[in-house]
Amino acid sequence: MNAAGRRTTGVAAAVVLLAVMPLVASGFFVNFVLTRTLILGVAAASIVFLASYVGMVSLAQWLLVGVAAFTVGNCVAEAGKGLKLGLNPWLAVLIAVAISTLVAFVLGAIASRTTDIYFLMLTLTYAVIGYYVFGQVTSISGFGGITGVSPPGLFRGHPARLYYAALVASIAAYAVFRAVRRTPFGLTLEGIRDDPVRMSALGFNVPLHRTLAFTIAGAVASLAGVLNIWWNGQVDPTSINIGATLILLIVAVIGGINQLEGAWLGAFAYVAANNYLRSLPLIDRIGITEARFNTVVGVLVLLIVVASPNGIVGILTGTSGRLRLAAHPAPDLTTTDLSDTTKPPTNVPPTNMEETR
Amino acid sequence: MNTIPLPAPLRRRLTARRGGVLASLLAGGLALGSGAVAADAPQTTAEGGEPIRLGILGECEGAFGAFHEDTVAGVTLAMVNAAGAETNSPTTALDGFSGAVAGGRPIEVVGIGCGDDTPDRIIQEVRILVEQNDAEIVIGPLSGDEAIAVANYANDHPEVTFINGIAGSQEPTLQVQAPNFFRFHGDGAMWNAGLGDRLYNESGWQTVAVIADDYSFGWTSLAGFIADFCAVGGEVVTRVFPPLGTTDYSSYIQQLPDPDEVDGYFWSVGGTGTQAALEAFVNAKGDLTGDQHAGNLFFNPDLATALGPDIAGAYIGGFASFPPDVSTPAIDAYKMSADATWETLVGGTTGGEPAAPSQSAGFGFFYGYYVAGIALVQALNEVAGDLSDGHAALREALSTLPVEAPFGTVVLDENRQAIVDTYVAQLVLDEESGEVVQQTVAIIPQVDQTFGGTFGPDTPPPSREDPACEERDLPWTGNAIPVVDGVPQTDETAVSTEG
Repeated sequence: MNAAGRRTTGVAAAVVLLAVMPLVASGFFVNFVLTRTLILGVAAASIVFLASYVGMVSLAQWLLVGVAAFTVGNCVAEAGKGLKLGLNPWLAVLIAVAISTLVAFVLGAIASRTTDIYFLMLTLTYAVIGYYVFGQVTSISGFGGITGVSPPGLFRGHPARLYYAALVASIAAYAVFRAVRRTPFGLTLEGIRDDPVRMSALGFNVPLHRTLAFTIAGAVASLAGVLNIWWNGQVDPTSINIGATLILLIVAVIGGINQLEGAWLGAFAYVAANNYLRSLPLIDRIGITEARFNTVVGVLVLLIVVASPNGIVGILTGTSGRLRLAAHPAPDLTTTDLSDTTKPPTNVPPTNMEETR
Repeated sequence: MNTIPLPAPLRRRLTARRGGVLASLLAGGLALGSGAVAADAPQTTAEGGEPIRLGILGECEGAFGAFHEDTVAGVTLAMVNAAGAETNSPTTALDGFSGAVAGGRPIEVVGIGCGDDTPDRIIQEVRILVEQNDAEIVIGPLSGDEAIAVANYANDHPEVTFINGIAGSQEPTLQVQAPNFFRFHGDGAMWNAGLGDRLYNESGWQTVAVIADDYSFGWTSLAGFIADFCAVGGEVVTRVFPPLGTTDYSSYIQQLPDPDEVDGYFWSVGGTGTQAALEAFVNAKGDLTGDQHAGNLFFNPDLATALGPDIAGAYIGGFASFPPDVSTPAIDAYKMSADATWETLVGGTTGGEPAAPSQSAGFGFFYGYYVAGIALVQALNEVAGDLSDGHAALREALSTLPVEAPFGTVVLDENRQAIVDTYVAQLVLDEESGEVVQQTVAIIPQVDQTFGGTFGPDTPPPSREDPACEERDLPWTGNAIPVVDGVPQTDETAVSTEG
């Protein structure tokens, strides 16, 4: 099986495993840890998509999550703060995705002519502006945020329903991003990532492609926003502050910012560390309490990045490659008949781009 | 009022550490002043029933992160005084307690949540307590926006009983009204009752500019002042709202009128922002004159350290616990019980250094959690630990039993919100020491959350614009009880002056 096949098989197995988790795991693990993992994973996947396909590391993705969440809150809530429109929750979802996508298009268009550190700084600015807009404009939120938001009736009654919604959203996000890569548009994005000047010289509209990529990522991030407010029941400006923005980038880096699967792996590592580290026996005796969680996460990021620049995905693929190598040792080139150059070695670990991207 | 002996472990500790005199004092004080401290405490340590799973929502990060120890210590002291618990460490409450029994059932702490004054974080923490650790009862949170989120969460989780820690936003009980959410202290508006009346009628303020943190507690605190000040005829000419956590207040200070354009300023800026905002005021508007300023609970004598004695003269709204110049046998016993329980504590008021636990116990954050714990133990004893039928009996007991707390008896209204006595204080220059101290000038009796109908479930919650400045009748206008040298001027209250 080639690398692409192994990757697809692995993802399919993970989906099956996730689908049966409500039957075998505790309610908290499913409804809290895994549901939050999937929601964070969808948002982080939009960062990974932009970083790995277009070479744009965005700090605005969590803002777009927030735009969708605040939109749902304003549309659905009937009391408390915000616009209190009291709309049908499904209509609110459509409005939220549309507004978040539109905002992504506008922000993407403004940022489309910047690259590298300048793009990063511009998207950071977006995140900060967004925080203050929702904090200061009390007609749509204020610093207290919008509370008491419930999901539509379909997802009430049993928390696992929301988990499955997050799982479906994750599958959809993953499928969309992988599908995009196989299209001419996706190939163009990769060309722009590798050499924007040459792509421009070839007649491609580089800013437009970047804008559209940012818009697609924003649309997917908006799904995370909708799910997040359903899951959390509220959203407030601190939900999208600079700390939360950086956490999403950390999630993507922990998982492996060059491969889509890394988004969900990083999210799981982050959520699991957040919830279970404090429960380890005697952990508080060495000063690791919930108050020092951010320090622990920082150390975790440091260790993972030092051990594997491609995050958890890099560790997993490296381990997998070494295992395959151990099972099928490479031929001893000193004794191999090298005259037959038409036959490639079959037991050398793959090194194509599928493994790293 | 019930009078029963101290829990044996506490009595032994007192005798061992402080000697018999202190033990006798404490025993007497507890018996005299606060039935709740030890009332109905179990006489045996038989732990026949299933443990009651208690979660505590603390505050280990954010603007109030220094008070994490205070929150847990408040609950712990309640368990020591009322449920016979022993602490696991003589220098910190975070190591928990053991041996607490109420209503014949042991009380087990299943987790301590770590808030950072944001709703987002507190929801994660309460979910861990309830959904991962299976907490049946949760005490907390500390901060205003957090409490709104937790009250909404309570609505979605009727199987859990929530007792607010010390969060002072109005909405949790007045607007959200979750039937399983209880609050045994006032909200930020209630704590400022009587302040506006005094400034208008005794200090001659007719116009005021207000500056408040731009979040639910800042708005609620301000709402109480505005309702009170405007009720008697005052006028609010400017409202300014810096975000919580602002460090440079200069642009917000510039929005305030100059001192010769207004009679006074009311400050509802909390945490580290109080001093920073006042310093920005001095830089922009000139020196402070205490009689032209008033503030909520965050105005305190420590401000004089940085700002000088000119702050003397400023009036201050109340808080959950009274200032140190008012003491009663119940208050003394309560503080001494803290000193008997721990050798030292590092609380939010101790500047990060170990200090006498009574220092932390004397501040409202500790006290709010303490009263919540006392109320819980009292109610559990009343219903013999019965949590069946969705905690029906427990909630009925929590709703109806008066809680004999050290700083006064607490009863709840129909929204499960406390009706409390609060106070007005003033910063004054102590002629002997030359230091600025806080002096209580009046007690405002029986303040209710609605301000005589000013606030209600159908009125807009406090915000930048609400409430409007309107004249109205308030139940306590003209009924303030003067306090002279720490002694309320009533015949009923047996009060002594500390020192």
